[in-house]
Amino acid sequence: MADRELLTRASEIVDLATRSGADGAWSNASRSRNVSYTYRDGKLEEVKDSTSRGISLRLYVDGRFSVHSTTDLRPAQLRSFIDEAVALTRALEPDPYRSLPDPSLFEGRSESDLELVDPATYAIDRERRLDWCRNMDERVVGKPDVVSASSSAGNAEYESAAASSNGFSGTYASTSAWLACEVTLRDKDDSRPAEWMAASARHLSALPAPAEIADEALVRARGLLGSVKGPTLRGPMVVERRIASRLIHRLCGPASGSAVQQGRSFWKDRLGKQVVSEKLTVIDDPLIVRGLASRPFDGEGIAARPLDVVQSGQFANLYLDTYYAKKLGMPPTTGSASNHVIELGDKSCDEILGCVGSGIYVTAWLGGNMDSTSGDFSLGVRGHRIEAGKLAAPIGEMNITGNILELFSNLVEIGNDPWPFSATRAPTLAFADVQFSGE
Amino acid sequence: MVPDMVDRAQSTPTPGTGAAGTGAASTAAGIGEGATASETLAWFGVDEGTVRRVLAELSARGADDADLYFQSTRANAIQLEDGIVSSASSSVDQGVGLRCVIGDQVGYAYTEDLTEESMLNAARTAAAIANQSAAIPPQALSARPARADYYKLERAWPDVGITQKLPKLQQAERLARAADPAIRKVSIAWSDSDERVAIATLRGQLLEDRRPMIRMFVMLTAEKNGETQAHSSNIAGRRGFDWITDLRVEQVVREAVDRTLLLFEARRPPAGELPVVLSAGASGILLHEAIGHGLEADFNRKQTSIYSTMLGKQIAPDFVTIVDDGTFEHERGALNVDDEGNDTERTVLVENGVLRSYLHDSISARHYSVKSTGSGRRQSFRHIPMPRMRCTQMLDGPHTRDEIIASVKGTGIIAETFTNGQVQIGAGDYTFYIKNGWLIEDGRITAPIKDVNIIGNGPESLRRVSMAADDSKLDTGGWTCGKNGQMVPVSQGLPTVLVSKMTVGGENRG
Repeated sequence: MADRELLTRASEIVDLATRSGADGAWSNASRSRNVSYTYRDGKLEEVKDSTSRGISLRLYVDGRFSVHSTTDLRPAQLRSFIDEAVALTRALEPDPYRSLPDPSLFEGRSESDLELVDPATYAIDRERRLDWCRNMDERVVGKPDVVSASSSAGNAEYESAAASSNGFSGTYASTSAWLACEVTLRDKDDSRPAEWMAASARHLSALPAPAEIADEALVRARGLLGSVKGPTLRGPMVVERRIASRLIHRLCGPASGSAVQQGRSFWKDRLGKQVVSEKLTVIDDPLIVRGLASRPFDGEGIAARPLDVVQSGQFANLYLDTYYAKKLGMPPTTGSASNHVIELGDKSCDEILGCVGSGIYVTAWLGGNMDSTSGDFSLGVRGHRIEAGKLAAPIGEMNITGNILELFSNLVEIGNDPWPFSATRAPTLAFADVQFSGE
Repeated sequence: MVPDMVDRAQSTPTPGTGAAGTGAASTAAGIGEGATASETLAWFGVDEGTVRRVLAELSARGADDADLYFQSTRANAIQLEDGIVSSASSSVDQGVGLRCVIGDQVGYAYTEDLTEESMLNAARTAAAIANQSAAIPPQALSARPARADYYKLERAWPDVGITQKLPKLQQAERLARAADPAIRKVSIAWSDSDERVAIATLRGQLLEDRRPMIRMFVMLTAEKNGETQAHSSNIAGRRGFDWITDLRVEQVVREAVDRTLLLFEARRPPAGELPVVLSAGASGILLHEAIGHGLEADFNRKQTSIYSTMLGKQIAPDFVTIVDDGTFEHERGALNVDDEGNDTERTVLVENGVLRSYLHDSISARHYSVKSTGSGRRQSFRHIPMPRMRCTQMLDGPHTRDEIIASVKGTGIIAETFTNGQVQIGAGDYTFYIKNGWLIEDGRITAPIKDVNIIGNGPESLRRVSMAADDSKLDTGGWTCGKNGQMVPVSQGLPTVLVSKMTVGGENRG
C-alpha cells in the first residue's frame, strides 16, 4: 500500500521533469524508519527514533545529464526544484555516452520472493528493545575488569519505489534488526582496550540471543589483555572470518567501470586473465533469500542476476553501469555490488590454524589504505600469535604491507565458515609469505 | 551500526555527490546580523508559537535541556571527466532534529516534514527518554547573533550560477593536460554548499548560522613506460567563489601533477621502527589521531579514553602546545557557533607539554562542571551532537626543518601527503597512511617513498616528539572526520616535527 504511494510519487516526478523539458528522467522515492536504543553501564543512555523520506531524480536533457535530490516535498517547492534542475542541466556539455538504460535490461526480473521483509520486526516495541539492551548489559556490567560497556539494539524498515520515462517501474521493501555490544576493559599502564560483537539480519529469527552477543564481546575484550607490540617478519597470516570481507572488498572494489575506464584500477587489462590463486571464486549474488544486500533490481533498474567476479583466480567481470559500459564498449552488468559469495573450502578455522603451525592470526584492521591503480597496500593490524597450530598471546601495533594481487596469489587456505552477519559472507582466509612490520 | 570504536579522519577523494539548488535565489528573510526570532524562523516556514509548542511537548516528561536544530543545506556538484563537463548535481536537504536531555541521557528524533503535526509527533518520540514531569516551561525566544562571523562572504553560493563555475573546471583540466605528456586522464570535481542553521533551546535562546563550503578536487592518471600511477589534490574551505582565483587553480593542479609524477620514482621504505619526520601542514593528522579524539570529553566521562586520567599531567616535551580552534577565518573546521548554539573558541588542549583541557559539548561540560568549549557538533539534523574537533594545530617549536632532517641518523622517513587515519580511543593505538614521502639516510633526503601505513600509540608518540620546527601551518586540503558514523569537516596543522620512533609499514625483501 505504502509502495503504491511511493511509486505514484516517483511517477509524478518523472512527469514533472518531462513537462519541464527533460527528454528522459528516472526518479526514486523512498521512506525509512530507524530506531535504536543504547544502554551504558546499567542505564538507558540514548533513544533515537525517526521516520525519513526523500526523492532523487536523474535527468537527461538535450544529451546532457544531471542528478538531484530533495527532502522538501511541498508541491510548489518541488515543482520549482525540478524546473531549476532542468535549467541547470542545459548549462552543461552534451555527453554522447549518457542515456537511460536499454529497457531490455529491465526484463527478466526474478519473480521469487527474496524474503527481505520480516513482518515480525513491525511488532518490535520499546519494551522489547529495552529487554534486549538489558539482557546484554547485565552480562557484562559490574565485572571488576570492565570499565564501561555499551549495549545497543535497533531495527529499520525501508521502502523504495522507482520509475523512469522509458518504462521502468518497481518497488521493494526490506526490514532489518541488529544487536551490538562493546566492552572496554582496564589493562596495564591504564590502557583501556575495547572489543565488540554485533549481528544484523533481515529476519529476527536469524539474530543470536542478546546474552550471546554480550558474552562474545567480553571474551574478545579479555583476549586483548596484555597485548604487546608484534614482531617484524615475513610469514603466514590467517585472517578471522569476521574481518576477511575487507580484503575481498580491496580486491573486488576496483572492478568498477569508472575506476577501470579512468585507468585507476589494477583490473584494467586483466579481464579474463589468471591473476590470483585458483582457489578463489567470488560471485556477486543479489538474489540470496534474506540477504543483507539482496535486491530485485539495481539502482538503474537493471534486473538483478548473479555475476561472476573472480572465477578460479581469473578476473571474470566488471561492475558496469550503462554509462561506463558504453564508454568502455562493453555490455552493462550492474553498477554496484550486492552480496559477495566466496566459494568455500573444507577446513574449519581450527584446522587451518593447525595446518599453518606458526604465524599471525589477524582479528582487526587498524586503518591503512591501498592504491587501487597498483594494488600496493599497507594496513594496520592486531591479533594473536599462532604457535604450534593454536592461538597464543595477543599482539598489536603492526602493519602488513604488500600488493593485493600478490597477497591473493599466496592464498593458501579458505575456510568452510562464512560469517553470516554481513553482505560479504567471508570465511577464514590464510595467506603465505606476508610482510609484517612491528618491533 | 557496528560499534566502530575505531574512528577515522579521512579525506574523501570521491566528491560529486554533493549538490545544491543552483539558481535558487537567496531569500529576502535572509539570516543576518540582527534578524529577529520570527525572521530567522521564517526561512524554515515555521513561527515562534509552533517552536514553543514543540519544545513544550519535547520537555513534557522532564528535561535538563531540550533543543530544536533546524537545518537547510543546498549543495551543488559538477564533474568534468574525459574533457567534458558531463555531470552536475543539486540537492536540498532540510529538516529538524529534536533532542531531549536528562543528565547524560538523550532522546532524539528528526523529521524532514516541518509541519507542526509532524514536529509534535517527533517531539513525543524524543521525549520518551524521560519519565518525570515538565520542569521548565519553554521560554520566549530571543534571537542572539553569533559573537563573530568567521566566514563572511561577498556573495553567497546560491547567487553564483553554474556558467560562472564551469570555466574554473575547464581551466584546471587544460592546465593538467598541458603540464606533462605522461598525464592521460584528468577529472575535476567541484562541490559547493550553503547551509542554514537555526537552534532554538528550551531556555529561549535562538541562534542562527549560515555556513558556506567549497571544495575543488583534481584527480589525475599518468602513464610512463607502461606503468600507471594515479593521485589527486584538493583545496577546500568555508569560502566563496572569489577565492577560486586563477592562481589558486594553478597551484592545486601543480600540486596534483607533482604528487602523481613523483609516484613513478617512489619505492617502499624498510619495515619496522624508524624515526619519522612529519612535514608542516597536513601532518596535523598525527594530532587528530594520536591525541585529538582521545581528548573528546564524551570518551573521558565514560572512562573509555586512554587520556581519562591524564588531565594536568605532563604528556609531551615542554615545547609542545596544541590548540583546537573554531575561530580560524574561512577554514573548513571554523564555526561561529557549535551545533548546540554555544560560541566557539580557541581551546588550549596541551600547554607546554601539560594536558589542560578536553573538548566539551553541553553534556560533558555539565558532567565536569566546566564551560562548554563550543565543540558540540553533528553531521546534520539527523544526528545527535557530541564533542568533536574543529581546527587542530600544534604551535611553532624551537627548531628548524633543516636541523630536524639533518638530525636523523641512519634510516628515517619524511611524511608529506596523507589519505586517511584512525584511532582506537581506549588502547590509544592510531594509524595514518602516507601517500607521498621521502627516505632519509644519515641526515640527507635520498629517494621518494609511497603507500606506507604508520602505526603508533598516542601517549607514547607524544612523549617521543623530540623536535618541532618554527613553520607551523594548517593544511589547505579538505579533511573530513568520522566518529560513530557521523562526518564533519575539520582542519589540521603542524610544524615540521620529529617523532623518534614509529612503526613503519614498509617491506624487507631478500
